[in-house]
Amino acid sequence: MSNQRKNIQVYPLNRVEGDLKVRLEIQDGVVTDAWSAGTMYRGFENILLGRGALDGLVITPRICGVCSTAHLKAAAKALDMITGVKVPGGARRIRSGTLMVEMLQNDIRQASLLFMSDFARPVYQNHSLYGEAARRYAFLTGSVTRQAIHHTKKILEIVAILGGQWPHSSFMVPGGVVSLPSRNEIMQCRYLLSSFRSWYETEFLGCCLERWQEIQSRADLDAWLDENPGHMEKEVGFFIRFSREAGLDKIGKGHGHFLSYGLLDMPQNTAVKSVNGGTNFLPAGFVTADGKVEPFQQEKVFEDITHAWFNGYSGIRHPLDGLTRPYATGSESEKYSWAKAPRYDGKPVETGPLAEMMVAQNPLFTDLVKHGGPTAFTRELARLVRPVLIIPVLEQWLKEISQQEKRFFQPYDKIDTGEGYGLIEAPRGALGHWVKIRDGKIEKYQIITPSTWHASPRDTAGVRGPWEEALIGTPVKNPENPIEVDHVLRSFDPCLVCTVHAVQLSR
Amino acid sequence: MAINLYWIQCGGCGGDTWSLFNAETPDLVELVDLLNIELLWHPSISNKSIRLQEQMIERLISEEEKLDILCVEGSIIRGPGGTGMYDEAYGAPKKNLVASLAKRANHVLAIGTCASFGGIGADGEIEATGMQFHKWEKGGFMGADFRSGSGMPVINLPGCPCHCDIICGTLAALVTGQEIELTSHNTPLEWYGMMVHQGCTRNEYHEFRVEEKQFGEKGCMFFHLGCHGPLATGPCNKRLWNRRSSKTRVGVPCFGCTRPDFPQHYSFFETRNIEGIPIELPDGVSRAHYLAYKGMAAAAAPERLKTRKTEI
Repeated sequence: MSNQRKNIQVYPLNRVEGDLKVRLEIQDGVVTDAWSAGTMYRGFENILLGRGALDGLVITPRICGVCSTAHLKAAAKALDMITGVKVPGGARRIRSGTLMVEMLQNDIRQASLLFMSDFARPVYQNHSLYGEAARRYAFLTGSVTRQAIHHTKKILEIVAILGGQWPHSSFMVPGGVVSLPSRNEIMQCRYLLSSFRSWYETEFLGCCLERWQEIQSRADLDAWLDENPGHMEKEVGFFIRFSREAGLDKIGKGHGHFLSYGLLDMPQNTAVKSVNGGTNFLPAGFVTADGKVEPFQQEKVFEDITHAWFNGYSGIRHPLDGLTRPYATGSESEKYSWAKAPRYDGKPVETGPLAEMMVAQNPLFTDLVKHGGPTAFTRELARLVRPVLIIPVLEQWLKEISQQEKRFFQPYDKIDTGEGYGLIEAPRGALGHWVKIRDGKIEKYQIITPSTWHASPRDTAGVRGPWEEALIGTPVKNPENPIEVDHVLRSFDPCLVCTVHAVQLSR
Repeated sequence: MAINLYWIQCGGCGGDTWSLFNAETPDLVELVDLLNIELLWHPSISNKSIRLQEQMIERLISEEEKLDILCVEGSIIRGPGGTGMYDEAYGAPKKNLVASLAKRANHVLAIGTCASFGGIGADGEIEATGMQFHKWEKGGFMGADFRSGSGMPVINLPGCPCHCDIICGTLAALVTGQEIELTSHNTPLEWYGMMVHQGCTRNEYHEFRVEEKQFGEKGCMFFHLGCHGPLATGPCNKRLWNRRSSKTRVGVPCFGCTRPDFPQHYSFFETRNIEGIPIELPDGVSRAHYLAYKGMAAAAAPERLKTRKTEI
């Protein structure tokens, strides 16, 4: 058997942003190589060309039904830069607040409906916690599934109060937001958040936010888990116990480079303290594989199309010079994906909640990565507990909106010609819109989403993308149903829900 | 016997699915339970293995298993050059799978504007189209003469995204055997027989032609800011979004996202006009009468509206 090679086609068919297929090479039950291929092209960047200067505010939220508010914010920030307008404090809080709500929604839904629902699959019938996992996470009927559907739906009402609807509103415009929330409407938002916080603490985290924030290391985490049955039994504790027995803390390591554009813009005159006193609540930055934290520089972002089904240039380009010219060669050349290969300072990077924690030098996650690498377990845990950081900031900013002057929009001069970019942390990580306007029309629009960073194919030097690299070394018990591959991919919160399909080509 | 339902996603963003998760009383889980629907597959939430899902597709297409309701979300991608290879599944264009399933289904629902009319990408290089309409024209992917097993055409539920109540309400009507009366664009009259404008809290400003040129104000957005409220059908201001509000209520112009031509070729946030009067007038009105009425209405506008004292 030792010489037997198998090729497996993995079809993470399910998705919300685009389809994905991963081809794996498996030898002796271990993944030895991987190719990640986006299988759908929607052409958004080209649809925007020649349209009105503000049209990105309407078109780009439609890229993704889960993070439409994030696209809206990136689009609005790019236009803020082009106009040079100063956004009033109340509007900054509404923009960040609605984005935070979208993150809370995403983190809970991803954890419950997409990630932990795999624990309820029959492949785990011999796991000691399988019965309990099935009770909690079974398709549509699981007790936690139902709670998650309810509470994520309720928290999104905040976006509707402040921005009209979720998903797909366009309430952020250059200079602020269009809405004029009354004090009572802000109070409604605060009640909704209070109710969500109460559920998250009692039913999901198993302790108050303050207790969790005391955890500084892996040893603290273990002590917390054993501290009382509540910590063990609720969802975060259950995730930790299930994952460790299933070996999720051993797989999915990847390159180990992390990128964050900085989580949430800090408004002026706020009682919220940013983590390093900077202009974002969690700082922007880049962490190298050896743990060095560097400041983020926008000029170091490039896209490489060597292995992507695009042409018009060879090698790499900065997004402001970028070009999206589809070139469907099928499987006849070195090209194999509809995702371009973004690189930061020449490197493929991981982005998302774990990257945010690493760039911010969060003690717990720095310790976990130091001792075990950025595993599927650590990556997913960062997402499960990101609400701990977000909820208090959102509470404070909602409170401060009522104390601000009642002005949420600053008029700006009509946009004629200019260029700018909007870089933000979306629910899944680093999201960038790069825009050029000429004579009031969009001349260039380039977008790099978090999933593009992750789904990246190889670059011109043949270096694998983050998903490809993270899969190397993953043990696969059953090539017919490689659940381990599912876990590694899903720990990145891909903008799609992976399900696995295996075709064997023995040779 | 349970009614089964298969949900397929094509050229879309998943927004209609997440809109459906906004449903309350019944919510999505309760709806499926109360209507005795067997959800065979939904790509965002199903956790069946793909092998099982593939076998199920084979059973459905080979008529071993019935298919009661097919929900299609996202446009049908036909590019490049009609091959459909911009959207591939199992090494073949996904559009082929959609056609095979549609021919087997008793009812076919096009969920959202992309599936209904082509939507995003309908004019673009991906050659997107709707299930049975291409923008305003009948035909689209399945052709004008297509009828599902029940004898109905594809039922269009446009909106970007489609409101959750429309999806739930249409499913309930189909399962309980109620007749669904359709408009000329095959949208259910019950939901698309009204304009988005109806129920907007800015209606009084509209009535007296107190119009805004700038964002962040309380007046009407129809004359200058590109609002399509009187030009697009849908219950946004009756059913509200997330049970709380709507775009027009908070000051976002309606972009006419239920219309077959969404996203329109002209710029958003500005009204195309002749001498300050919108080129496109509220559905069905005569231009001459409208001009006279609006002139008089503006002259009659009370001070409290002109000074934006009236809350919205």
